[in-house]
Amino acid sequence: MSETNIAIRVEHVTTIFPGPVRALDDLSLEVKRGEFLVVIGLSGSGKSTLLRCINRLQDPTEGRIWIFGEEMTGAKGNQLRKLRASIGMIFQQFNLVKRHSVMTNVLSGALSRTSLFRSLTMRFSPDEVRRAQACLDRVGLGDRGGSRADALSGGQQQRVAVARALMQDPKLFLADEPVASLDPALRHSVMRHLEVLNREEGLTVVCALHDVDLIQRYATRLIGLRDGRLVYEGEPQGFNAHTFKEIYGEEAEVASGLAWI
Amino acid sequence: MSKGARRSAWRRVLEPFQVFLIDAGLIGLGILMVELLVISFSGRRSPTGFLLPAEEILDLLHYGRAALGAALAALVWGRAEGGVAISPGAALIRGVDAAGPPWTRTLRGWFSFLLAEATFFTGWLVTEVQLMQFLTQFDKAQDMVRGLLNPSSAVLHQGLVLLVQTIFLAFMATAFAIPMAFVIAFMAARNLTRGTFWSRSLYTFTRTVMNLTRAVEPLVWALIFISWVGIGPFAGVLALWLHSIAALTKLYSEQIENIDTGPVDAITATGGSMLQVMRYGVVPQVIPPFLSFTIYRWDINVRMSTIIGFVGGGGIGYILKPRVDLGQWGEVGTLVLLIAGTVWAMDILSAKIREKIV
Ligand SMILES: Nc1ncnc2c1ncn2[C@@H]1O[C@H](COP(=O)(O)OP(=O)(O)O)[C@@H](O)[C@H]1O
Ligand SMILES: [Mg+2]
Repeated sequence: MSETNIAIRVEHVTTIFPGPVRALDDLSLEVKRGEFLVVIGLSGSGKSTLLRCINRLQDPTEGRIWIFGEEMTGAKGNQLRKLRASIGMIFQQFNLVKRHSVMTNVLSGALSRTSLFRSLTMRFSPDEVRRAQACLDRVGLGDRGGSRADALSGGQQQRVAVARALMQDPKLFLADEPVASLDPALRHSVMRHLEVLNREEGLTVVCALHDVDLIQRYATRLIGLRDGRLVYEGEPQGFNAHTFKEIYGEEAEVASGLAWI
Repeated sequence: MSKGARRSAWRRVLEPFQVFLIDAGLIGLGILMVELLVISFSGRRSPTGFLLPAEEILDLLHYGRAALGAALAALVWGRAEGGVAISPGAALIRGVDAAGPPWTRTLRGWFSFLLAEATFFTGWLVTEVQLMQFLTQFDKAQDMVRGLLNPSSAVLHQGLVLLVQTIFLAFMATAFAIPMAFVIAFMAARNLTRGTFWSRSLYTFTRTVMNLTRAVEPLVWALIFISWVGIGPFAGVLALWLHSIAALTKLYSEQIENIDTGPVDAITATGGSMLQVMRYGVVPQVIPPFLSFTIYRWDINVRMSTIIGFVGGGGIGYILKPRVDLGQWGEVGTLVLLIAGTVWAMDILSAKIREKIV
């Protein structure tokens, strides 16, 4: 079956914000199962909007999106929540619940399968607590479960966010500039976990990134957006100074080498 | 046509009317105030021979003619272009160049200056400011001041008992208001009610009801509840309760509107339901400010409960009013000191607690 080999299918998606701003403009693309797809483009080019449309944090104005053969656009209520639960997402600003403990943050990844009573009283089953501990162990924070989330460093917080997404047991990972607000030295500490999930567990990853060295190390394929349109598609090896112009336009190249974003 | 385009087209149609209404209103006000000042200073007297007080002059003003004149003037002025001649309405609605001429060089600058002067002198007349009495008749208040400075112990015991009632009255009103305001605030928060037509209607409805409730002062609510449950502290509790719900709803919902949407997105992305998103993405962010607002509200309620007895709503004000009427200034002094001490202590206490929370 070819269909199940396609993790994400985006067909003619247009997203318009009041203004009006065409954040995505008739965008179509396919992501194969097991790919590590990196999305690049100037800020404002529509990277976040694309990722948010995939799990419907943002509703596209037009077009359709499928996840592993199931249609995301048009899904409602329980069906939509079930589809969302199969997609893990991490954000540039981590988006942890700051006042909750690290453990509770990870457990919130299990909300879609937790009863309303248990979730409102924050009493998760022992089973879920064990799984959350395992997820924390995987990102190397097994001993920090009791800390308040905002007591951790940026890199550690992003790893908690990874653990929260792992708790969902996702088939797909969306990462919106996951290391952009981290110290350069810490970037690999987060990216490594995405790499392991992708290489060893076959998880499909779609990740917006800015740094050339990270792109070349982690991506299996690369797409470039400009003004909400697909302007580049290729292998990370082919990504070099010559392809800049295609993706970032004349001004960026003139502006100077690598400080383009 | 997209929503944004439709809105801006709508605005273009609406703009001239907004400009006209503002200009006509301001000019009309100016005309009426000038007429009032002219009549007052012309020395016209009533049939009984007194100078006309402002209340009576208000009956003499030519409202129709002022409106007509203002409308005509606004029509002309509203068409003016450029930084110097542009009308106040146009300046407000369309905006003006910040680097334009200073106000002393613009027509609307001088107009506003004269309007402000006229407002001040009109206010002086309408509120019957009497500087001479204020400066020369202090001796008439001597008895009262002497009484206030020599509080009598006769009413001390009763005053203390009612002070306890006053503080509990404020406490009960606040406590009853918290759960209701907490629930209603979520319906009155713009960012949570954008989804469907029904949620938007719910927002408009709750906002309107709460604004109207808040617009009626607790003393007036007390009068209403007194006729409902009878004179006494419970009527006061109900009055402060209702007003507190409206006030807390406003404060709470504004706080909800200002939350970081990041955690909301994150919990939504895990597949959480609406209530789960509220519980994990919203509630933890708003609890500390909610606590702070609630204590602040309790503080305000203590202040209000000290005077709600004036109209029969219970608390220490209930025994203060008759003593003021009878001129028992020594006892009034005792009660005023008790009230001042309580309000002062609450003020400090609430500031201290709120400091700790935030
Ligand atoms: N919620 C929103 N409301 C209005 N405009 C938005 C919103 N989100 C994004 N945009 C606009 O859409 C365009 C694409 O933004 P985004 O997807 O965030 O780009 P990127 O992630 O590549 O920086 C930008 O012009 C941005 O201003
Ligand atoms: Mg972005």
